[in-house]
Amino acid sequence: MSYDANLMKARLGNLMGPAFYRVLAAAALCVALALVNDAFLSTNNLLNVLRQASLLFLLASGLTLVILTGGLDLSVGANVGLSACVAGTVMQSTGSIGLGIVSGLLCGTAVGLVNAALVTVLRLPPFIATYGMLWALHGVTYAYMAGATVHGFPPAFRTLGSGYLLGVPVPIYLMTILLGVGTFLAQRTTFGQEIYAIGTNPEVARLSGVPVRRRLFFAYAASGVMAGLASLVYLARLNSAEGDIGEGLTLPAIAAVLVGGASLFGGSGTLAGTLIGALILTLVLNGMNLLTIHANWQPLVTGVVLIAAVLIDNIASRRTESRA
Amino acid sequence: MREPPLLELRGISKTFPGVKALDDVSFSVYPGEVHMLLGENGAGKSTLMKVLCGAYKADLGQFFHHGKQVQIDSTAAARELGIAVIFQEFSLVPYLNVAQNIFLGREPSGYLPGTIDLKRMHVQARRILDQLGLSLDTHTLVHSLGVAQQQMVEIAKALSQKARILVMDEPTAALSDRECERLFSTIRQLQADGVAIIYISHRMAEVFSMGDRITVLRDGRRMASLMTGDATPDQLVQLMVGRSVDMSYARNFCAEPGELLLDVRNMSASNGVHGVSLKVRVGEIVGLAGLVGSGRTEVARAIFGADRVTAGEIWVCATRFAGGPEQAREAGMALIPEGRKTQGVALTRTVSENLGLASLPKTFPNHLFDPRKARQIAQALIQRLRIATPSPERNVQVLSGGNQQKVVIGKWLQAGSRLFIFDEPTRGVDVGAKAEIFALLDRLVAQGASVLMISSELSEIVHVCDRSYVMKDGTIVGHLQRAELTEERVMHLAVGQGSI
Amino acid sequence: MNDTQVARPLMRLITHVPGVTWVLLMLILVFSSLSGNFLRAGNLANIGEQSVVLLLLALPMTFVIMTEGIDMSMGAVLSLTSVVLASTLVATGSIALALSAAVLIGLAFGVFNGGLASWLKLPPFIVTLGTMGVAQGLALVATDGDSIIVGTQLTRLYTTQFLFLSLPMWLAILSYGAFHVLLQRTRFGTYVCAIGGNRDALTLAGVSAGTYHVAVYALSGAMAGMAALVLTARLSAGHPSAGIGMEFDAIAATIVGGTSFERGKGWLLGTLLGVVAVGVLRNGLNLLNVQSAVQVSCIGLLVIAALLFDGLKDRA
Repeated sequence: MSYDANLMKARLGNLMGPAFYRVLAAAALCVALALVNDAFLSTNNLLNVLRQASLLFLLASGLTLVILTGGLDLSVGANVGLSACVAGTVMQSTGSIGLGIVSGLLCGTAVGLVNAALVTVLRLPPFIATYGMLWALHGVTYAYMAGATVHGFPPAFRTLGSGYLLGVPVPIYLMTILLGVGTFLAQRTTFGQEIYAIGTNPEVARLSGVPVRRRLFFAYAASGVMAGLASLVYLARLNSAEGDIGEGLTLPAIAAVLVGGASLFGGSGTLAGTLIGALILTLVLNGMNLLTIHANWQPLVTGVVLIAAVLIDNIASRRTESRA
Repeated sequence: MREPPLLELRGISKTFPGVKALDDVSFSVYPGEVHMLLGENGAGKSTLMKVLCGAYKADLGQFFHHGKQVQIDSTAAARELGIAVIFQEFSLVPYLNVAQNIFLGREPSGYLPGTIDLKRMHVQARRILDQLGLSLDTHTLVHSLGVAQQQMVEIAKALSQKARILVMDEPTAALSDRECERLFSTIRQLQADGVAIIYISHRMAEVFSMGDRITVLRDGRRMASLMTGDATPDQLVQLMVGRSVDMSYARNFCAEPGELLLDVRNMSASNGVHGVSLKVRVGEIVGLAGLVGSGRTEVARAIFGADRVTAGEIWVCATRFAGGPEQAREAGMALIPEGRKTQGVALTRTVSENLGLASLPKTFPNHLFDPRKARQIAQALIQRLRIATPSPERNVQVLSGGNQQKVVIGKWLQAGSRLFIFDEPTRGVDVGAKAEIFALLDRLVAQGASVLMISSELSEIVHVCDRSYVMKDGTIVGHLQRAELTEERVMHLAVGQGSI
Repeated sequence: MNDTQVARPLMRLITHVPGVTWVLLMLILVFSSLSGNFLRAGNLANIGEQSVVLLLLALPMTFVIMTEGIDMSMGAVLSLTSVVLASTLVATGSIALALSAAVLIGLAFGVFNGGLASWLKLPPFIVTLGTMGVAQGLALVATDGDSIIVGTQLTRLYTTQFLFLSLPMWLAILSYGAFHVLLQRTRFGTYVCAIGGNRDALTLAGVSAGTYHVAVYALSGAMAGMAALVLTARLSAGHPSAGIGMEFDAIAATIVGGTSFERGKGWLLGTLLGVVAVGVLRNGLNLLNVQSAVQVSCIGLLVIAALLFDGLKDRA
């Protein structure tokens, strides 16, 4: 067989692989939900689902990068909370959207840099370091807000989260841009190649001359930046910010990445996968809403989905190992 | 010795895919004797040890215990026969104390089910330690003990299992002279109690001072069993290395080496090597020989920057070198590590991705990755090196050992390296690929590169290298030029023949 | 006497005396100077009472961390078992039945966690993160977010005193004693250490390491059920969010106490001191009117400091 035919075969093989089944699962969910409740197929609901999924995707995108390197950033949700509060309060006190946006992004970046330093410079194990940061950030957010709430932001800012552009919710544009840029980074830059190598086997990467610690530093910092960006969109969508805004965001973010097929051990996963994971999770939660299942069920379902995803991945990888 | 041997092996064979690790090995061990087991790396010693302790099951052959045939098909079975093996990496739990480690899994029971009778455990541990002449406190945590003492705890553990046959793997490798003396007197004591000891070692001095009988293995076969009194060191070395040279490879040796590419001056590193000096010139294949544990891999890693250099200097192409693997790559060095699957290739990445890993900044200076260009480069390398792979997009995992090795070499070729440091280039590689790799090395140095080659196969060192350094105990003990490069001379230097 | 002669015994003192004692001393010093109320007998007794639940959680957490694992679901399981306990108590009036139900539920979660972590070799933290969501969700769903008031049924736990100590205090003391015995005098304790320190050595010795590994998580779940009794008594209600974040305090207490994530190094007395340290920190910050969430930040900083100190000591 000619070289190109081989390549096509290999590509199609990947296509029929796990990603395919995930897309299938998402499609199946849509069909099921449509059958269960007519309201599902309404334009309003579908756009809403996409909007929610985009928000979750924004949050989970930086996390995907970190998980690709074989690490973890548990502080992502709290980062969003703090950054949203900072952005909100600055916007309110200065009246400037620009300053609000900048301060939110700066806050997210700062947290990311701290995480990066803890993991790469102080060499703390990523999960305990970011877990400590998670709680530290919650506390800082509470102290900063001191029980107050900020709300009522200028409409121009609100379009970021709740607005429409040409009939499509704005977050979806952001999601698309991020997906495009992120996938480009992953597939079409040397940085992406290095990240995947580091996740697969950091020692092989190091011995091949890849600057592992520099790349890891960047990954954690980037996760922080993305959290900052996500916080702006969340703030715009919720139109308010208070001390506990960040709670309960970390679990769905991790779930989205893992359901999307990324391996906890690093080296495999894509942003597109995370998007599908975010979509699946959002569909499940949307379905619960449509069935008027109480929001209290959400952490339960997210936890079950997370465990199921990890289990399925574990079983699947054992199967491929025995085949190889 | 008139009684039947304590343990007799008859015709033991063990085959792994592609290699016959043990081939019809027979020997016997009598109570109270120290039986030395000698052989090169790969001669079958560690396989034999694993078979003896029940971790591996022999494919062919029989075992006889006190003359009666027995099966050793599990670790429990071996334990019951009184066989205890002390591997070089100890099986101790760092934060448990001495007594707990000695009785791990066999703690004396207390009143309630599941409880331990601590007093009895410590008393019994104390008794065993006293037998060994150790004043060690049984309450000491094992992690705070030195290597020598940990070894003693392992011996105590074996004794507590009523071991009558103790197998020890290079026990003096990490011990000081004084600690060796202590170990030897312990061994003599055990001998007096009728315990048989199978002692694996390379050091001629202790082979002759401690051994009663000697068995030499080579290529999985037993070459001879002699009484120590009847043997001479030269004879032993001959038995260990003398092999018919079936190397069909003939090399064009370097007549006139070029400029000085690598100059290591009195280097010591955090990984234990010290005072290492060596030179490599363009056009040469320089060998680095020595026994396992002599520090060869450590020297390679230190030169490449993978481990920290603590003293001395490294000069590459007349420029002082310092830094890590990234800087080493820039300076033109390449490291092809020993652990191919763990350090050489990223198994779940494709051939193409692995081939490009060391040259990303060089191939794509603007940081933009072009998959088509990467594929073309991969294709070219695959053809040039004749890497047998269904496609460049397959995972490296599915390739054979030899082809995986070619991928690692190809990675560095693409990086434009000039100094190639090979650590065991043909380990786990089939004969055909071996010849190809040597031909490749030949071409490399002919085209202006140099090779520093670590190998445990003496025939490789002798037939492929222009000259070779020999290491022992973390430093270089000898340097053999082409004319004097023979397997015997290398072995003599490696085992410390010169010191007798 | 020159500097090195003074420095060396000082260094020895610093490295040999466990860090947590210095931390505790420092915290006590700081808070007693910042607040006049800190050293009052009533306040100190308060610290003791409030530390009971944390101790009951931190003791099994120490074992889990010694096996190089972690149990993120403890807080959520505490919430759930507290709710279960409260509703069983309200329904049946029997404390024994309620406690049994709580412990059984905790045990079930523990076995699930342990099974996935030990037999399927899934990373413990992800498994317990998932179980955390499940347990928390179940608690919320079962109660709709409301508390289940148990009224005065459990106040006897606090009013009945034995030798000037309340029953929960005795529970804490007995639990500490039990865990001490478990660690020092039983196979279970020895094997917990071995699983983290050198699991292969254990398997080579013929022990079924996997079963003991599951048991460690099972114990963790069961203890959460026990802790639910004290928590529910203290709040006079079973509240579905009562346990949120307690796993962090338990992990913090364990790490500050000197137990490390590698090689099976664990120290129960250290955990006890760590629990007291966390209790002192929270109490002191309370007296200074610092918000709960900020208190948690301080605990987080303490953990990071403990990890760094541990790393420095290892390198020394």
